[in-house]
Amino acid sequence: AQAAEVEWRLSHWLPATHPIQPDGIEPWAESISEASGGRINITIFPAQQLGAAPDHYDMARDGIADVTYVNPGYQAGRFPIASLIEIPFQVTNATDGAAAMHEWYAQYAEQEMPDVKVCMMNPHDPGAFHSKTPIHVPADVNGMNVRPANATIARFVSLLGGSSVQVSAPEAREALSKGVADAMTFPWNSVYLFGIDQILHEHLDMPFYASLQTLLISKASYDALDDDLKTVIDEHCTPEWSKKFSTGWAEWEAAGRQKMVDSPDHTLYAPTDEEIALWREAAAPLVDSWKQDVTAKGHDADAIYQSYQDTLEKYGVKY
Amino acid sequence: MTRIARFLDTLSRMIEVLAGLMLAALTVVIVASAIGRYGFATPIPDAFDYSRLLIGAAITWGFASVGFRGSHIKVDLFALMLSPKARRWVDVFAWCVLLLFTVLLCWKMFGRVETTMVNGEGTSDLRMPVWPVMLLIWAGVAAAILTTTAKIVLMAMGYGSLEEHESIDDAAEGASYE
Amino acid sequence: MSESDLVAVGGFVALFALMALRVPIGIAMGLVGVGGFASVVGWKPALAQLASSPIRTITDYNLSLIPFFILMGVLATNSGMSRELFRSGHAWLKPFRGGLALSTITACAGFAAICGSSVATAATMTKIALPEMRRFGYPDNVATGVVAAGGTLGILIPPSVVLAVYGYITETDVGQLFIAGVVPGLLAVLMYMLTVRIAYGRVLPGGETFDLREAIVSLRKVWAVGLLFVSIIGVIYLGIATPTEAAAVGALLTGVIGVARGRLGRREIIASCTEALRTSVAIYTILIGAMLFGYFLAITQTPQKITAFLVGLDMGAYGTLAVILVFFLVMGCILDAMAMIILLVPIVFPVISQLGFDPIWFGIIIVMTVELGLITPPVGMNVFVINTIARDVSLPRIFGGVLPFVMTDVVRLILLILFPAIVMFLPMTMK
Ligand code: NA
Ligand code: NA
Repeated sequence: AQAAEVEWRLSHWLPATHPIQPDGIEPWAESISEASGGRINITIFPAQQLGAAPDHYDMARDGIADVTYVNPGYQAGRFPIASLIEIPFQVTNATDGAAAMHEWYAQYAEQEMPDVKVCMMNPHDPGAFHSKTPIHVPADVNGMNVRPANATIARFVSLLGGSSVQVSAPEAREALSKGVADAMTFPWNSVYLFGIDQILHEHLDMPFYASLQTLLISKASYDALDDDLKTVIDEHCTPEWSKKFSTGWAEWEAAGRQKMVDSPDHTLYAPTDEEIALWREAAAPLVDSWKQDVTAKGHDADAIYQSYQDTLEKYGVKY
Repeated sequence: MTRIARFLDTLSRMIEVLAGLMLAALTVVIVASAIGRYGFATPIPDAFDYSRLLIGAAITWGFASVGFRGSHIKVDLFALMLSPKARRWVDVFAWCVLLLFTVLLCWKMFGRVETTMVNGEGTSDLRMPVWPVMLLIWAGVAAAILTTTAKIVLMAMGYGSLEEHESIDDAAEGASYE
Repeated sequence: MSESDLVAVGGFVALFALMALRVPIGIAMGLVGVGGFASVVGWKPALAQLASSPIRTITDYNLSLIPFFILMGVLATNSGMSRELFRSGHAWLKPFRGGLALSTITACAGFAAICGSSVATAATMTKIALPEMRRFGYPDNVATGVVAAGGTLGILIPPSVVLAVYGYITETDVGQLFIAGVVPGLLAVLMYMLTVRIAYGRVLPGGETFDLREAIVSLRKVWAVGLLFVSIIGVIYLGIATPTEAAAVGALLTGVIGVARGRLGRREIIASCTEALRTSVAIYTILIGAMLFGYFLAITQTPQKITAFLVGLDMGAYGTLAVILVFFLVMGCILDAMAMIILLVPIVFPVISQLGFDPIWFGIIIVMTVELGLITPPVGMNVFVINTIARDVSLPRIFGGVLPFVMTDVVRLILLILFPAIVMFLPMTMK
């Protein structure tokens, strides 16, 4: 292929076949190539080929890749503001939700991620609680071994009197089938993808938690662009693009929920309003400790928290 | 051996014992954590994070030990075809390359320890600070600079080589049990 | 050839030059990786890899079973378990012609069951079995050949550090890999014993009188090995604990048994820990180097190009597999088992997946091929180690002695390729 004027490397840590690549990353990169008249070409390096998943922020900072896909939660405590998104029971979907997160976090990105340009926010479709025995209320988690999605959920599980089993997603099936774990938090279709649908038949049907992924651009790479190319990139780092970027994966995950509704093997339990209140109450300490973490870093925690709630409200995605 | 050779030897062996004891302690911690989790449903909080980080520390301190003992995995085929004298200088060269890598690693890794400290990265359960263990890991690499240099000096002076397996006669002396 | 191809080729040339000069394999890979990465994207990002990647490798929980399995093997050796295995094997097998050779094989298998390394198994058994076989007039070539071949059982019979590393690289379940190694390992023992009978039956001393009482008494001394093997593999098979936890339990149990039997004192325990750590570090160093080298290969897109090339040759799945296996056999001349798996599997694994081979099955096949490389001329690591320990037996003589075992290994390899079920039926029951 003819070399483009700007050759960028995009690094992520999911397999190339994961929906985020064909449905999110590739259309985005193609759109940039088109909008720039072929002057920017982005090569995708999937599956941690250029570095370990938790290092992807530093990889953008250091120029190992020009664009990286990051889960800030992989480095517990490093990006406290962003981790608000991980606290359960806040957001109902990942499409308008992504746009809301984008608008909200743009206010703080410069402070919290000064080395990079935060281009997009990409939560997955809100994940649910899947278990062997039914979980309806927080007390049901007491004494359970849970494979948590992230450090915030791990904290939540221990608040509820359960213990967390730290295994990777591919190992989770083994851990569950052998009784090392009894439950896990996961987005819906991923349950099928990892074959966990054969082990866990009880599902708590509420938008439990959002994960947080972001797409970052190395500041040095961005600054080196001509002004017209900077505009092209800016036009691809908008709340609308965050929504567009997140839609394919979110729809794919949501299809898994419908599949379970239709399946006789699976029981979905929609909690009552009182039960939802119990869950919120149980999660309240998470907000408190989040506020402590953020205050400790010199930010106005209450204002940031309020702004998130307001933005979610504005986009109509507040749970 | 000269006095300096004996000193370097003693120092390196002390580092080695320290690293070995770390491994022993970790074995006990991981078993205790497994028993806690499966036996009594009370896992030790942060056992996962701390055990993997401390294994890292044991490895870098062990790296210091290997730098001294010469027991890295390497291709001996060509070196063993050389005369003992030529082999000695090949060995010195090989260990200088190891030293170069170790120095680079030590320099760059320190930056990593610093960012961990500045950013306040924590463990997943209790959010305990990670940087002290990172510093311990880094210190192992720093110790490796010391031991690798010691090995180079000793080899250049004509003491020791990169050969590792003892002969049957040496082994026979060691077989004192039964 | 494009510019990135040239850089990649230059990288491999530099890598082999440094390795020939006895630079540790991992260090050579690491330096060439960083230098090559720098030549493509600049020094700052390349050196940044050095800041983050090695620390990730050494603190990766999925790898932490390595030091514990190695510690278990070292503690077992230092508490005399390998000698007991050999004695007990002999008590049972002595009525047969070549009884000492046969018991060397069973002792290697038994020791392999608690030790994760092939070279360590060969080194240990050389020290124990070789003097005995010599005392009873076994020819040098047969005695060393048996030990060299028996040593290769170390990385097939679980637990196996090499299989664990393969599982890590290819994201294959380590527990299933271990279980998959059991039947091929037992098959190897059986075929090796037949080889002793068929190839060397005439030159070996005849049997002695069997003493049932002595045989039964000897079993009382090997209970520890049996207990360890059963508990560790049982724990992994049943999935009661993670492989890392099983390994730590194994190491601790071996130590406790050794202390309880008065075989291990404070000095021996410390010495075992430092030795195990040194062996582990040697492996981690290669892993660190391989990660850095891997980033360099990725940025030059080498694995993709090799995959495209091999698949494009259009030789069919088995033709391509044969090319890969021969390539590993040749590389076995210069690289040790662990280094080969770490350096080469990431390059060929995408091809294997694309051709539709099962990753567990391929793990066993490739480990057997690597083992074979350890005992084939002109260079085999096991033969080398035996030669450095038994200095009076020449390399050609050992290679000559091991040749019949090489031939059985090839037969076994072909069997497992033709009948994958031999490998797969046991791990399938785990699901
Ligand atoms: Na083994
Ligand atoms: Na060979």
